[in-house]
Amino acid sequence: MPQRFALASALALTLATPGHAEEVVVFAAASLKTALDAVAADFEAATGHGVTISYAGSNALAKQIIEGAPADVFISAAVNWMDEVEKAGLLVDGTRRDLLGNTLVLVAHGKDAVPVAIGPGFDLAGLLGDGKLSMAMVDAVPAGQYGKASLEALGIWEAIEPSVAQSENVRAALTLVALGEAPYGIVYGSDAVSDDSVTVVATFQANSHPPIVYPGALLTGATDAADRAFFEVLSSEVSDARFAEQGFVILN
Amino acid sequence: MTDWLTPDDWQAVALSLRVSFWATLVSLPLGLLVAYALARWRFWGKQVLNGLVHLPLILPPVVTGYLLLAAFGRRGVAGQVLEDWFGIVLAFRWTGAALAAAVMAFPLMVRAMRLAIEAVDHRLEEAASTLGASRPWVFATVTLPLILPGIIAGAILAFAKAMGEFGATITFVSNIPGQTQTLPSAIYTALQVPGGEGQAARLVWVAILVAMGALALSEWVARIVARRISGR
Repeated sequence: MPQRFALASALALTLATPGHAEEVVVFAAASLKTALDAVAADFEAATGHGVTISYAGSNALAKQIIEGAPADVFISAAVNWMDEVEKAGLLVDGTRRDLLGNTLVLVAHGKDAVPVAIGPGFDLAGLLGDGKLSMAMVDAVPAGQYGKASLEALGIWEAIEPSVAQSENVRAALTLVALGEAPYGIVYGSDAVSDDSVTVVATFQANSHPPIVYPGALLTGATDAADRAFFEVLSSEVSDARFAEQGFVILN
Repeated sequence: MTDWLTPDDWQAVALSLRVSFWATLVSLPLGLLVAYALARWRFWGKQVLNGLVHLPLILPPVVTGYLLLAAFGRRGVAGQVLEDWFGIVLAFRWTGAALAAAVMAFPLMVRAMRLAIEAVDHRLEEAASTLGASRPWVFATVTLPLILPGIIAGAILAFAKAMGEFGATITFVSNIPGQTQTLPSAIYTALQVPGGEGQAARLVWVAILVAMGALALSEWVARIVARRISGR
């Protein structure tokens, strides 16, 4: 009898033991890759929970979430795609907050490219020659949408439109410039920091495009304690340092 | 009817047809040569050639696209030669999309043609040469008509594959409306946007109609050719 009791309580103890590793699934805008990978590594080391991050254009991620993808946390590079997910009723009430900001820059291939002064009517088409301007998709991906808005504010969008090569997320657009296939590209300031083979040659004025805001939220599919823990960690000081290092502006 | 699809959509359809047509046409002679070599000749490196021809069939299309970018992009080995010596630029142009489509469709074309060549009865060719016909004449008047259905089948397979080519195209020449946004790329772009399903569905209908039209045409041509060969 005493042995059976000992065995039963030992079994009960193992089943009741907390701290089994949970998995947090994050859908994040592609521009967050370098910084967010570091934040996730910190979190995994500190808590033992795993973090799986899927990076893509915020439009594609929003669509996947609306169609039922099993994500726990969503960080978008623009307010409009977070609004779409909110409209679909998939955000946990009260968790949506603006996490980060960014700058929009014109980059050129090479480590020491010549800076360029941009202003209204600036001849970007002439600068490109027969090369392409690498951007993210201008109708859907935030970086492309901000870029098009800036070029429209400068009055040069119609002249430039035939020379634009669109990629499905801003990191793919960055790669085209890094490889030298496109001489210039429009990406975030943080993307330029992450890659040595491109140089920032101009920064678009903040008032020429909608404010670049990265909202983050917990999704209704998130049920583990680890999910909320990771979401809170995104606003912690250690994470702020990781983001700032990569050129993001801390908003919270 | 023109309101059903936007001008951009029609542009994607027209571009797809143009890219696939040229991809198939230009790769036909090379495809026939390679199929003939693999079917009839024995040479050192035959298995290597066979492997290379089939590589686009087994590699992930994005990998093939990346290899094309590395070789034929503006900074690529072959791309720089083409640009400096001939002034030909493939990156971000419809010609690059045609190259990507041709490379992906090549193995299907070669396989179909090779099967047809291997099925030719040698004795017919021998009979022709014993009657005094030279090798090229035998090929032109005996072999070629016999393998013509196979050539047509190979061309149609290649055309259909080229129409549906996506992964290598978007990796090599990206997605530029009017230049490289083929029908599959346009459908993919429409699907990237929440609420774009309607446009994607319309484009899918067009893709189905074009594919069925091409198939029907090919069946009709193949039947005519087969009838002529058997002398009916």
